[in-house]
Amino acid sequence: MGNSVIARRLGLLAVLALCVVLLALVPYFPSYYVRVVDSILIYIILAVGLNLVVGYAGLLDLGFIAFYAVGAYAYAMLASGQFDIHLPFIVVLFIGAAAGAIAGILLGFPVLKLRGDYLAIVTLSFGEIIRIAINNADDLTNGPQGIAGLDRASLFGLPLTTPVHFYWLLLVLAIIVCAGVYYMERSILGKAWRALREDQDVVRGLGINTTTLKLLAFALSAAIGGAGGVIFGAFQRFVSPESFTFQESLLVVLIIIIGGVGNIVGVIAGAVVLVVLPEILHFAAQYRLLIYGVVLVTVIVLRPGGLVSPRFNLGFIIRKVRTLWLSPSKT
Amino acid sequence: MALALENVSKHFGSLVAIRNLSLSFDVGSIYSIIGPNGAGKSTVVNMIAGSYAVTSGTIRLGETALNRLPKHRIAQLGVSRTYQNLRLFDGMTVLENLEVCFFPQSWLTFLTGAKRLSKAERLEICHACLAEFHLSDVADVLAGDLPYGRQKILELARAFVTQAPIVLLDEPAAGLNHTETKDMAAMIAGLKREDRAIILVEHDMDMVMSISDRIDVLNYGELLCSGTPDLVRTNERVQEAYLGTTEELDDIRKLAQSRRAQGGLRANAGIVRH
Repeated sequence: MGNSVIARRLGLLAVLALCVVLLALVPYFPSYYVRVVDSILIYIILAVGLNLVVGYAGLLDLGFIAFYAVGAYAYAMLASGQFDIHLPFIVVLFIGAAAGAIAGILLGFPVLKLRGDYLAIVTLSFGEIIRIAINNADDLTNGPQGIAGLDRASLFGLPLTTPVHFYWLLLVLAIIVCAGVYYMERSILGKAWRALREDQDVVRGLGINTTTLKLLAFALSAAIGGAGGVIFGAFQRFVSPESFTFQESLLVVLIIIIGGVGNIVGVIAGAVVLVVLPEILHFAAQYRLLIYGVVLVTVIVLRPGGLVSPRFNLGFIIRKVRTLWLSPSKT
Repeated sequence: MALALENVSKHFGSLVAIRNLSLSFDVGSIYSIIGPNGAGKSTVVNMIAGSYAVTSGTIRLGETALNRLPKHRIAQLGVSRTYQNLRLFDGMTVLENLEVCFFPQSWLTFLTGAKRLSKAERLEICHACLAEFHLSDVADVLAGDLPYGRQKILELARAFVTQAPIVLLDEPAAGLNHTETKDMAAMIAGLKREDRAIILVEHDMDMVMSISDRIDVLNYGELLCSGTPDLVRTNERVQEAYLGTTEELDDIRKLAQSRRAQGGLRANAGIVRH
């Protein structure tokens, strides 16, 4: 074993250690920074979830935030004084994910035959329909005033109140979601989705029910969105329709496009860039959309595949680490 | 198992593409469907595979009527196909192009794992198939990066990997040069099996004549003639409809041969319809 291998292993260890230390230090950041990190993690969860539909199955969904709204309102209605129902957080987390999945299938059915632009328009409308419905269903949702005073959440007896608590919860959930989606990507299901993205007719000709395949993508991605919404509700302890505008859907799609479509590492990078950017440019808040536009155009012109190359994905990193550890001679 | 077309017709608006066609294909043989451009050959393939709905008549696989079933059900019952223009999953590797054929066919198998191949079994079948089609060396190459000839062979492999009893090949030699066409013909001939019917739509007459057990000639959507290659070759109506008169044919053959000697054109490139 040469010195270079040892050096590279040490380098790898150093990088890993740095990541762990950074993640472990976040709770000691000032509260504002913890909130930003929480926000990044929420958008990672949302974007990785939406990536199932947009990146793998190749179906452009512009109404994703509707599922997030469904999750958030599930918590608002089932854990607050609104109907005086006070279910525990963990129960609502599963209910929110299930409600998201059902909403996903409800959206999935009518759009099964649509592709490309038409699909994008209908999903966009779906997102708006959900928001407007929430805005008008006064008896259920309090309409535009929203629902305030949601229960303080707790998980297995541990309180979930401060941004630091949510940081740990979101970190664990983000890791679970990324790992789960990565597993799906490598399974035969992921391969069938990628095939669907390339040529739907041929996939049917191979004996695969594309209806099932698409609904599964919509349902799983919407379930992740719903779970994200429940956490958002528990974190803010206040929900109103304003949090679920088309701009939010667009932001999640932009994260995927800017980071790298179909690539988990890219999506993480995209979430970091698009959440941190407006924070840095806080003084220019009114130019936010303009800045998004400039960033998007710049990325598309300079790196059409997204900031992160499709080759630099989770599989690549795992293979690299594994070969360096098990059979360094090959590297 | 046998595939049968019973009085099948297909209209596209006022155009009658196929008129009262009855054909039967039994496992164990290679069948070719030939005919001039527009005769309805590809329409027949697309109807069997479920891409086109028949206007009237029935298509049966064994006892099952196929023509009311969705496309993926037809494929599940054992009809696989290739396409006139290559339709591989370009962004996936050669191996993945085959693997995806083994996606569980129903919710039940997907959730319970019953009757479902394990990953190891799946990979073993796919690797064996790659070896059979001489594609093992490119297993991890993206399908879109393969040279055209090998893409054609990969599409062939994808149609055979699931051991479907009925395989429809829509112009497997299209775009291949003379040597590649001969290799393709030999490969298809080698795929003939007792439990499999291969149905070929092809323009390359050398290939059709050399590997077919039966040739069905279509003209304007109707069956003109059906029989062994020798029978079809000597049938006068076929020659008139498809190849022109004998003298013209000889002229064209000579022309084609001299051109092939020069630059490797397809044998039938000069053949025109009268």
